[in-house]
This record gives sequence, C-alpha cells and structure tokens, in this order.
Amino acid sequence: MLSKELFKKPKNQLEHAETVLPDPRKDGAEEPCLACPACKKVLFENDLERELFVCEHCGHHFRVGPRRRIGWIVDPGTFTEHDAGLLSENLIGFPGYEEKLAAAHKKSGEADGVLTGTAKIGGFPCAVFAMDPDFMMGSMGTVVGEKITRLFEYATREGLPVIGFTVSGGARMQEGILSLMQMAKTSGAVRRHSDAGLLYVAVLTDPTTGGVTASFAMEADVTLAEPRALIGFAGPRVIEQTTRQTLPEGFQRAEFLLEKGFVDKIVDRRKQRMYLHTLLFLHGREETL
Amino acid sequence: MFSKILIANRGEIAVRIIRACKEMGISTVAVYSEADRDALHVSLADESCCIGPAAVRDSYLNIPAVLTAAKVYGAQAIHPGYGLLSENARFAELTAQQGMTFIGAPAKVISAMGDKDAARRTMKAAGVPVIEGSGLIEDEETLLKEAERIGLPLMIKARAGGGGRGIRIVRERGELLPAWRAAFAEAQAAFGDGACYLEKYLTSVKHVEMQLLADSEGNVVCLGERDCSMQRRNQKLLEESPSPAMDGALRRRMTACCVRAARAAGYLGAGTIEFLLDQATGEFYFMEMNTRLQVEHPVTEMVTGVDLVKWQIRIAAGLPLDFSQKDVALRDHAIECRINAENPMEGFCPSCGRIRLLHVPGGPQVRFDTALYQDYAIPPFYDSMIGKLIVSAKTREEAIRKMQAALCELVIEGVEHTGEFQTELISQPEFRAGTYTTGFLTQWIGS
Repeated sequence: MLSKELFKKPKNQLEHAETVLPDPRKDGAEEPCLACPACKKVLFENDLERELFVCEHCGHHFRVGPRRRIGWIVDPGTFTEHDAGLLSENLIGFPGYEEKLAAAHKKSGEADGVLTGTAKIGGFPCAVFAMDPDFMMGSMGTVVGEKITRLFEYATREGLPVIGFTVSGGARMQEGILSLMQMAKTSGAVRRHSDAGLLYVAVLTDPTTGGVTASFAMEADVTLAEPRALIGFAGPRVIEQTTRQTLPEGFQRAEFLLEKGFVDKIVDRRKQRMYLHTLLFLHGREETL
Repeated sequence: MFSKILIANRGEIAVRIIRACKEMGISTVAVYSEADRDALHVSLADESCCIGPAAVRDSYLNIPAVLTAAKVYGAQAIHPGYGLLSENARFAELTAQQGMTFIGAPAKVISAMGDKDAARRTMKAAGVPVIEGSGLIEDEETLLKEAERIGLPLMIKARAGGGGRGIRIVRERGELLPAWRAAFAEAQAAFGDGACYLEKYLTSVKHVEMQLLADSEGNVVCLGERDCSMQRRNQKLLEESPSPAMDGALRRRMTACCVRAARAAGYLGAGTIEFLLDQATGEFYFMEMNTRLQVEHPVTEMVTGVDLVKWQIRIAAGLPLDFSQKDVALRDHAIECRINAENPMEGFCPSCGRIRLLHVPGGPQVRFDTALYQDYAIPPFYDSMIGKLIVSAKTREEAIRKMQAALCELVIEGVEHTGEFQTELISQPEFRAGTYTTGFLTQWIGS
C-alpha cells in the first residue's frame, strides 16, 4: 500500500506553455447518452439505436414507437400505411379527453395508438400492425379497434398473413363501453381471418395488458414475446388483493408465460426479422403432393 | 501545451506516461479499478479516480466512466497507452466530441488501419509491398479459387482482428473449408465481424517493425526498426534494435516505404508498421500498422535518444517535430526482455502473489520499466507482464552481456517470473547469431 503523499511533485514549469491548443469547444454536438433502467449502465444513443434499442450489457428491451419497429422488420421501401386519417373523437363526452389526445399526438407524432398497413418481409407480402406506447399507452379505443379490424378484413380478402406488435395499457377508459366493444369486434375479424386459413403472428412487447391481451393479442397462431415483457390482463396489485396471495417472482413476465404455455417463444428484438421471415417461409409454401 | 492529462491505462505504461508528464510540467489524473487501488500509477499521479470494479470491461474499457472522469477532473487530453482503448476509434471520436484531445491517431485513421483488409489495400496503393493474399472471401468458391492461386500454407485472417488474434493457419487442402467456416464464426463472435481474407503463410521470416512519428504539419520521421521475431503464440518476448538482419541499404528502402505509407494513411502521432522480412531474399512485406505506442517502444528510445511518449504529447498539442529524418541515427544496440509473471516450467501458467523482495538492476544504459514495488500484491485480473528490462551498449555482443548481467541482478520474489528463462534464451546460439526467425522460440520451447 503506497501513501498518496509518497511522491513529491517535481518543480517543473509547464513546457511550451505558450502554445495554442486545439480549440476545445467544437461545433459538433455532444453525443446524448442515457442510463439503462435495468442495469443502470450508461449507453450512448447512437450505440443504442444500432442495437435496435436493446441494452448491449443486460439485454433490456427499450420501448419503441411503431414506425421504428416496422422499419426494422419489413423490407426497405415496402411499407404502405392504411387508414392514416382515422382520428379519435370524444364520443362519450369524457372530461379532458381532447387534451389527452392532443398531448398524445404531440408526444408520439402519430395519429392514434396503432400503425397499420401492408409490407413485405423477406419478399413475402403481409399485413402488419404495430401499437404505440407513446400514444396514451397504446390504449385501445374505437380508432385502434377499427384500424385493426380493417387490417384483418383486408388481409382476409387479399389472402395475406398478419404480423402484429402489441403494446398496451388495455382498453381506453375515455371511450367507455365503446372501447370494450373493440375487444369483440377485433376478435371477430381475427376469427374470420383464421377461418380463411391465414397465418397470424403476434409479438407481445412490454407491456401488453388489459383488453388487448384479452382479445386480439392472444388470438394469434404463433405468439411470440420480447424478453422480460410484462404480459397480463389485470395488474399485479389487483390480483394480489383479490386472491390474497403473494405472487411468484417474475409473475406476468414473458418467461413466466412461456413456462405456463401462454407464449410460444421469446425472441430477442435483434433476431425478430429473421424469425418472422422464417415463419412466413414455413407457412407460405404451397403443399405439393 | 496541455496543463492536465488523464491516463486511460494502468500498470507500467501508465507509470511511463505519468513520468513523461511530470518532466513536462503537466498535471496527471490516473484512473483505476477497485482491484488497482494500491497500484503505483495511482499514487504517482497528481489526482486519481476509481472508475469501476476489477473486470476490465467494467473499468478500463468503460468508456462513459473514463470520459466522465476526464471531464470532472478537467483533463484537456487523454493518453490511452497501449492495448485497452488505444485503438478504439469510437473512444477517440467520443473524446474529441467531449472537447478533449485524444493522444493518438485520428479516429478515421484508427478505423482505416483497424480494418486489416482495407489497410492492405491502402498500403498496396501507396506502393508498399504486401504479402501475397486475397481480398475478402465472400463464398466457398472464391475461397478455393484464391487458395489455389496463393498456394499453401496460408493464413485465414479476420479483417477486424489484429495483434495476433483472429488467425488460422491452413497447411493442407482438406483443412481449408472447415478452417474458413470456423474463422468466420470466431471472428463474428469476438469482433462482431466475421469477414476474412487470405494471406500466404511465410515461415522462417523475421518480424521487423518500423517506428514512426508524424506531426500535424505533415512531417514524417522514421526512427528505425525493431526486430521482434522472438514470439510465443504471437506474443513478443524479446525485442532488439537494430535488427541483425538489416543493413543500411535495406533500412533506407524500408524507411522510404514507411514514410510513404504514413503519408498515404494520413497518419498523426506515433505509430508502428510491422513487416515480415525474408532474410534469404531481402524482400519485406507489409503485415499491419499499429496506430498506437507499442510495448517495446523503449528499445527505440535507447538507440535514438528520442522520448516517444513526450513526442506523442507534443504532437497532439499541435507542436511540430524539431528534428527531421536526417537527424535520426541509430546509435548503439538495445535489447528488451519482457518479464512476465508466468511459470515457464508450467506451460507459462500465470502466477500471482505479493512481492516480498524487489531488487532492480542499474548502471549505465540499464532501464527497468515496471509498476512493481516491494509489498505490492499483483491483482489477478490483468496482463501478466510485470516489467520490461531494457539495456543498450555500443555493440550487440556487449548488449547481450549487459542483459545477461542485468537479468541475473533482477530479483522479484513472491511470484514466478520469466527472468531466468530469458537468460537461457539469450544464451542460445540462434539468438547470438541474430538469425532467429518467428518460428524459433516455439520450436525451442517444445524441445
């Protein structure tokens, strides 16, 4: 152990003290960085973006908007948006809903809580949807329900598989019973799509809860999930209070659901494109005798 | 001139850099991991900052932590040493973004030279001879075609590799395909980039590297060569300058070549170009360029009288070199023996322990670079090199005698080390003759 005072400081003047140093304040902006909420390590935004918003240290999957998601999955330039003009209205006169909608538009930059359209993945045409965590927590109101329904109906008519990404706090309270009705409506459209023998793959992302879980999110042929995603119907507190039981570790996380059979496979975001492509390939081939 | 520099490294090189700063009147900030609290470089620096736990990736390679320490302590520049972040283009870029000077090559040069395949092409275009080889191997067909053209034995090299890593040797046709697949997978896993190229495998060659200094005014000076052919598993154990295989004419040709190469690469700072030299034909071939200070830099310092670390700092501060190529002369002969905390009798297994007794040799032209001190406990997490013993004398014969004496006077009790092994090594006739090639050491150890 060496004392920090052990070595004396040499009496040397700074050599070349008059030289002009390279200008320290450059015009380049400082690179933004943030801390991973899971492992607390510092991440540079450019690095994070390169990793599809997955923490390179602990694998924590950050929440991302629908356009980014679709952009990572589909073949470049193949996405055609549907029903972009559908906007929510305050149908039951719920106080403060207009303000909430305006704030949501501003925060997410999207028209409502889901982005729908058609695209190609690895050359395979399909219908896609991705919900928006920044638009009122992806809550399902009449517009979300309508867009999803129209997408499934379109896919049924055109014979297309559907690939969808869910993220939601559940049914949108501000539209009351009309939101709940979307559960039945979307489920009906999904059922007809299924009866037509078409493939539907859902990727459940963190968090997928409430009326969305209890309807179209869990009605897929293949149900995938992102690692550690919270997937459930009722929230943990309500469950604990109702059942008066302590919930096990990891309850309602994707890994727990995988174990119990509610999720077919957990796929890391960085591998999703390849995996979805494979599924489309396997289910897309014509059977020949 | 920078008034404060942060040293983003540890061990003997951190001590070396701090020493240069002390001479220049520059304040120093050391960074250390939790395992390095008692390290010499921490006490030697004016200020110090703990940047993480023992594991290298959480401390010395923890870029946000290093940059934060530099900002908080008000460093104007960061010296990365060798290894660790010294050839990390991203770190160089981020340092500059934070308004500090990275003491080393510019980020884009680091990237360019870090891509071994691109580096080869840059050198070739600049008229530097390169080893017969291929471009990137895209598929099996190209692999077989190129292998046929180049001929066996050959090496499959990862373009993202370097420093001896990501290399596979293929001696028989049957090994080719599996070796390529394995090399690709390994490189993909280790460097995130599996792309490989082929190079003819030259045996019985000397590894000769040239030291360069390039300033911001376009002056490039070559400070002679170092013969680093004593290698075990692509790790150097002993280096000397001048190379016994060099004569004046060859040195002039290689110097001209290097200066051309440095200009072609847009180089700035201290750098080293590694060549393979075929003693029989006198032909030399570019192997790779290291855009950093090398471990064995003291050898060049002893024969040229140029303080490479000080010049790195001056160049980074924008000062021009105050000497030109004609002022450079290799005087005397220098040898460096690396002292590793390893047991040569147990397959060079690393050894740890507390230093009970340390006696360092001295006398004219005897230098020992180390971070050891008596009662120091060597942490088990880092490199096994614990010191470098460098001597110089008027002739090579005298330098060998001096090294022999100095090695015997060097006492490090508490760990197993390779000092005695080195005394055996320098007594070998192949070493004394100076003709030893890169295959010699492994062969001698095996026998």
